[in-house]
Amino acid sequence: MDSQSKREQEIALKQIIVISAVIAAGFLLQIFTGSVVQEILAAPVSIILSAAILSLLFIKQGDLLQQCGSARVSLILIATLLIISMLMGIIPGNTIKYSWPFALIYLMILVNLSLATGRRLRRFRLWRDLKFILFHLGLLILLIAAGPGSGDTKRYFMTVREGDTEWRGVVSGGTEVEELPVALALLDFDMEEYPPKIALIERRTGTSLPAGRPEYIDAAAGNRGVIGEWSISVDSFEYPKMKAPVAHITVKKGDGVTINGIVSCGNYFQPYHLLDIDSVYSFAMTYPEPQNYTSHIEIYTKSGLKKNGTVEVNHPLTAGSWKIYQYSYNSTMGRDSEISQFELVYDPWLIPAYIGIVMVMLGSLLLIIKGGESNGVE
Amino acid sequence: MGWSEFIYFAIAALSMWIAGTILLYLKDRTLAGDILIVSGLATFSLFIILLWIKLGHPPLRTMGETRLWYSLFLVLVGYAAYKRWGYKWLMAYSVIVSGVFVLINILKPGIHNTALMPALRSVWFVPHVTVYILSYAMMGAATISSLATICKRESVERNPLIELTDNLVNIGLGFLLLGMLMGAIWAKAAWGDYWSWDPKEVWAFITASAYILYIHSRHSGTGERWNQWIIPVAFILLMITWLGVSYLPAAQGSIHTY
Ligand code: HEM
Repeated sequence: MDSQSKREQEIALKQIIVISAVIAAGFLLQIFTGSVVQEILAAPVSIILSAAILSLLFIKQGDLLQQCGSARVSLILIATLLIISMLMGIIPGNTIKYSWPFALIYLMILVNLSLATGRRLRRFRLWRDLKFILFHLGLLILLIAAGPGSGDTKRYFMTVREGDTEWRGVVSGGTEVEELPVALALLDFDMEEYPPKIALIERRTGTSLPAGRPEYIDAAAGNRGVIGEWSISVDSFEYPKMKAPVAHITVKKGDGVTINGIVSCGNYFQPYHLLDIDSVYSFAMTYPEPQNYTSHIEIYTKSGLKKNGTVEVNHPLTAGSWKIYQYSYNSTMGRDSEISQFELVYDPWLIPAYIGIVMVMLGSLLLIIKGGESNGVE
Repeated sequence: MGWSEFIYFAIAALSMWIAGTILLYLKDRTLAGDILIVSGLATFSLFIILLWIKLGHPPLRTMGETRLWYSLFLVLVGYAAYKRWGYKWLMAYSVIVSGVFVLINILKPGIHNTALMPALRSVWFVPHVTVYILSYAMMGAATISSLATICKRESVERNPLIELTDNLVNIGLGFLLLGMLMGAIWAKAAWGDYWSWDPKEVWAFITASAYILYIHSRHSGTGERWNQWIIPVAFILLMITWLGVSYLPAAQGSIHTY
């Protein structure tokens, strides 16, 4: 028994030494060649690398491979990953995620996962092994898509004027303009805004009152409210296209003083308007905040695809392996913006990534239902 | 049916949840408790449905509206977990946290109108946050029970608490991973990238890795004393993720500003 555990300890030590040596090699690579350039992973490298890792699923395992796919090696690797990601979380502005040591740990995890999953697949029994397979095969697929697959992802920014068609984009993080295999026509840019608000402010400082927990009322015709000792009613509210919002309000103080007039927050070419109530305080209007913005676009790809649709925040549009995201607009002009800015992402590994995510999520549900019941200590 | 009626529905639902939970604790037969809790859930859902009809769109646009869903889902999942695992404290906990959200909605009516910025307006927002809250509850409980095991001088291996701790960590990790992956799907839809190693994401990853380390450590036959120690350490990492990240120098400029 005792000599058995001593032997185990020796094996563990060897595994730690080998893994440390690989990481040390990563440091040397880092020093001599600099960070990993993601482009080296672009196809065909990404495909060959993934095929090599996935082929480990089917290989018959001798002693060495069995060790590489063992639970103890996974433990050492996860612990190493934990340490390196803590450095990532503590050191400001680091580029650890592009470093060779990190890439090699990632690679070793892929190998370990693939070997362990392959072993389990060969003696698969549904209820016993489903959780394990969902987690580890799912994670393997996801990590391949997010790792080796990342070399094939391309991201561009594109700015399009209403009525125009654009096919040139700027590489994300770069400045040079490229011609892309997709073109976008911006038919219309639309923005919904939350109604602007009426506030009571101290004119000199601009602070809203009551100080510390300011109160506002929505600028909408017919709305009423109370701020401090003033009761406010909004008599009319107008917000025509290309103009600043204007509200006509009547304010009454407890002692009967009544004032009325207009307030406006102004916009990119019209001045703002305050309603003064004495030498210190005024009523004012806040800027309307964006609620949602939408672009109606037409997409054309080099391969002949043509598609019509809308893009808004949280709702990208898909055309083949491209996804088009609403990114920004001319924020000084707000809803009158005549341009819309898009982010275009080309990601051929999207579907595997989602398959992996869904598998791990299903595994998580099993974990919640089954708890720790079947990970008995061996 | 609008916010002005919320207080009646909320107090009715909350009283039923509290009474039901107390009954679960007092009585062995729990039928009355079950009925009360389910009726509370029905009452609360009814308010959401009526509000939905009145607004003409799902109530997910303002802070106040999303808080409604937290209150509902917390009790719903807390109750489901109680039915499956029999942990009464989890039911009580979810009622308390849900009650906090209800109280905020009653006491600060101003926030009903506080607008959600466009990126937060997603169907993933509510489940993502709710599931994380539940995971934190599980992990908190697991930490206490692991500390209890560690502090007992006698043999750690024999301690019956170990099984409870292990269950809690496994269930908690299930919720944690769900929360993380929903976050990833959401980020993909909002920003075009599932994972950008933003500081909050790095720490969420560290936290999950620590709990995964525990599971594998237990599977590899590491001494039980070691395994038990991983849990409180992981919980410290969880606290950094949740509360501490914004104070770290690495986090200046994080996209997760809450
Ligand atoms: C999503 C996160 C993960 C979860 C929830 C998870 C869960 C588990 C569980 C529950 C077991 C025990 C299997 C059983 O019950 O029979 C296990 C074993 C194992 N895991 Fe993981 N795991 C995760 C990630 C990883 C990673 C990242 C690696 C690789 C570094 C890994 C490698 C292994 C290995 C090698 C085994 C032992 C397989 C065997 O003995 O046949 N796991 N894992």
